[in-house]
Amino acid sequence: MRYVFKFPDIGEGLEEGTIVEWHVEKGQTVKMGDSLVTMETDKVVTAIPSPRDGVIAAKFGKVGETIHVGAALVEIEIEGVSIEEDAKKEAVEEEGAGVVGTLEVAGNSMVLSASKEGVPSDDSSKTSKSGKALATPVARAIAKDLGIDINVITGTGPGNRVTKEDVINFGKEKPSKEVSSSPTPGNPSEKSVQIEPLSQIRKTIAKNMIQSKHNAAHMTVFEEVEISTLDQIRKKYKEIFAKEDVKLTYLAFIIKAVALSLKKYRALNAEMDWDGGNMIYKKYYNIGIAIDTEKGLVVPVIKNADKLSIKEIAVAIDNISAKARDGKLTMDDMKDGTFSITSYGSIGGLFAVPVINYPQAGILGVGRISKKPVVKGDDIVAGLVLPLSLSVDHRIADGGETARFMNSIMDYLADPVSLIMD
Amino acid sequence: MYDLVIIGSGPAGYVAAIRAGQTGLKTAIIEKDVIGGMCLNWGCIPSKAMMESVKLYQRIIKDASRFGVDGIDKKELSFNWNKAIKRSDGIIKKLTGGVEFLLKKNGVEIIKGNAKIVSANSVLADNRLLETKNIIIATGSSSTTIESKHDGLVVDPTQLFIERELPQNIVVIGKSPVAVELAQSFNMMGKSVTLVSDGDHIMPLADPYIRNFMLNKIKKERIKMFNNIEINTTDGIWEDGNLLVDGQSLPCDLIVNAKDRKGNILESDVQLETENGFLVTNERFETSVKGIFAVGDVNGKSMYAHVGSAQGLNVVNFLSGIEQELDMSKLPMNMYTVPEAAQIGMTEDHVKEAGYDYKVSEFPLSANGKAQTEGNAEGFIRILSETKYGEVLGVQIVAPNATDMINEASAYMQLESTVYDIAQTIHTHPTVSEVFMEAGFEAVDKAIHK
Repeated sequence: MRYVFKFPDIGEGLEEGTIVEWHVEKGQTVKMGDSLVTMETDKVVTAIPSPRDGVIAAKFGKVGETIHVGAALVEIEIEGVSIEEDAKKEAVEEEGAGVVGTLEVAGNSMVLSASKEGVPSDDSSKTSKSGKALATPVARAIAKDLGIDINVITGTGPGNRVTKEDVINFGKEKPSKEVSSSPTPGNPSEKSVQIEPLSQIRKTIAKNMIQSKHNAAHMTVFEEVEISTLDQIRKKYKEIFAKEDVKLTYLAFIIKAVALSLKKYRALNAEMDWDGGNMIYKKYYNIGIAIDTEKGLVVPVIKNADKLSIKEIAVAIDNISAKARDGKLTMDDMKDGTFSITSYGSIGGLFAVPVINYPQAGILGVGRISKKPVVKGDDIVAGLVLPLSLSVDHRIADGGETARFMNSIMDYLADPVSLIMD
Repeated sequence: MYDLVIIGSGPAGYVAAIRAGQTGLKTAIIEKDVIGGMCLNWGCIPSKAMMESVKLYQRIIKDASRFGVDGIDKKELSFNWNKAIKRSDGIIKKLTGGVEFLLKKNGVEIIKGNAKIVSANSVLADNRLLETKNIIIATGSSSTTIESKHDGLVVDPTQLFIERELPQNIVVIGKSPVAVELAQSFNMMGKSVTLVSDGDHIMPLADPYIRNFMLNKIKKERIKMFNNIEINTTDGIWEDGNLLVDGQSLPCDLIVNAKDRKGNILESDVQLETENGFLVTNERFETSVKGIFAVGDVNGKSMYAHVGSAQGLNVVNFLSGIEQELDMSKLPMNMYTVPEAAQIGMTEDHVKEAGYDYKVSEFPLSANGKAQTEGNAEGFIRILSETKYGEVLGVQIVAPNATDMINEASAYMQLESTVYDIAQTIHTHPTVSEVFMEAGFEAVDKAIHK
């Protein structure tokens, strides 16, 4: 029998994802848990594991195509399983005790007869009638003829039905994504702009930024803290940790300092529930760290940072950065952050006005550390200065609370031993 | 301030008004005469009611005995026009009452009076000035006049369906399916009928295949026919019960004017562009003045009630933010001839012109069981499809209920179906509609019962 595996909702209210890479071929034998395909969703790029043992009977969608949650991803030919048995197993999975760990199977993964719809049209067998895209018969016939996958066409008919015209126009649009129309008037033939569709990550970033700026009342304070003591400690332990392959950065200390300060100043770890008329004070301290990747910014979370040692934090940063670079972050890595840190200093920049990772209450911007003259006692000496920029949602945190929170962070960083004293 | 003022309560206006009311627009409809307009009061409904009476009369004469009904003395049979009119009037009353009820139920204000457009945002209904965001003109059309010094000699459809003494010799002037319908109807009552067309032929929009079928039919029924005769006045050509047509003197006591119609252009202080007696509108039925729309006969795009209704709905949808162009190429045409004829999509001439590789799949009613049992096996279905994908390009039907059957074809076309879909659609048996499936089989390969 065949098992139709549908694209599951791997996040909270995920609607669609884009195929980044297929890891299986038609006819390939797969084991439960093997990566089938890497999908880019609006939050993560993640590999989707196979829920079953079997042989890949069909793959749906090409690299770059958008797949809606609930749409078929692959069909797996499973040997020796009766439909009844499978239906039982299905029920168990959907209760969440399934083989796919955190993945929730997006319901209705029913057993179908081998459906060929959505398979690239070089497949010569007859088109099945059980469809996904709503399309008119003529549109289907033309799409098949032209080798266009009907499921990728946006329909303009009633109920977004794909019509003949849509297929014909789709064929026309396809060749030129470069538009020659004219930001440079007078020279219309020059291809002066390149138009690229928005990636899921870019869409999400844009949406989140607007949501944050629209909803939160941003207020930013700037400070400098002298960290030569911290620098000495870091240098010492950096070498020790290096033997265990752990990279000790300033960020590990900053995360710890922030987590401990959040415990003292609860407003900065809160969230406003405007509609419900409540303030939600969180008693867990999960620090999101902004990581610059090729595809865009992601903010994975280090959980319970207050309870972790500096070393444990350093290990967590290492792990999560590697995952982010490799595009392997999961939904779990991304969720439940309570406060964020953006550390742009390694690239450049002293101060910034960071945008809050809404609905969190604040975000700390960490600038470039530099040697500066500082006053110690009555002497001007060379100091190592770390610039900090703290944006808070002024609806949640008042100025006094914000300044006290900032002072706390600075105290911890100026006297790192205190980090293990509290 | 109204959201919408609609002028005219025929099928274009009243349907738009009901829909507007449903969508929550503050709507008024102005009617100078009776609710329902031409269609309900003088056109579609009374003519169909009359046709049913005539068909029954003919059926009894022709078929009663053969079908096993004894005891009918044909000599005693006669057709009573006035009784048929009474039945028709009852139906009209019921239907117009229904429309009025629906208008009120949906919160549409009905204003009786003459309308005049004062500006793009105001309409005068007799002496009352209505401020409005949008205006829909749905004033319909009227027959092109035939002048006559002789009272009652010439009647147009609005004057026809009343209690009267119907004379023996009737001349119907016009080329539309309505003209043919009226000629056949009078003929079936036992009148002597002449059909005078002012064009090269009759039913100009029909596929020639349908037209030729009807021409043969008319010939068999001994309805006299003239083509290319333009009659604008009876002066000089009518005298003492005789009409001079093409050099021939025809007995004529009544002339029924079924000539092509002209838009009822209402009084307006703003200049609305017209062409050939109709208001000019764009693809969303907006006139030359923004916010003033014209739907139904008055814009000259079609003289069919259902098309007027579709246009009216389209405009109200547009005003409610739903923009969907009305595909005028997929509008079905009904011809209430005997037997009925209907078509949708392209005619064969159009298909040829468009350069399609096409196939015509025909199936005759004579091979259909239900048609045989009903004793009405005259007619056919023709499906025109392009050969590559099998898309249905046009459907033509001649059958006793062709005007009902065409709606199946409309659904196929609306859904861009292919002949494969028609062939695969299981049709109940025995029905006349099975001819669709058979023609579908024929298109794909071969019909079963042919």
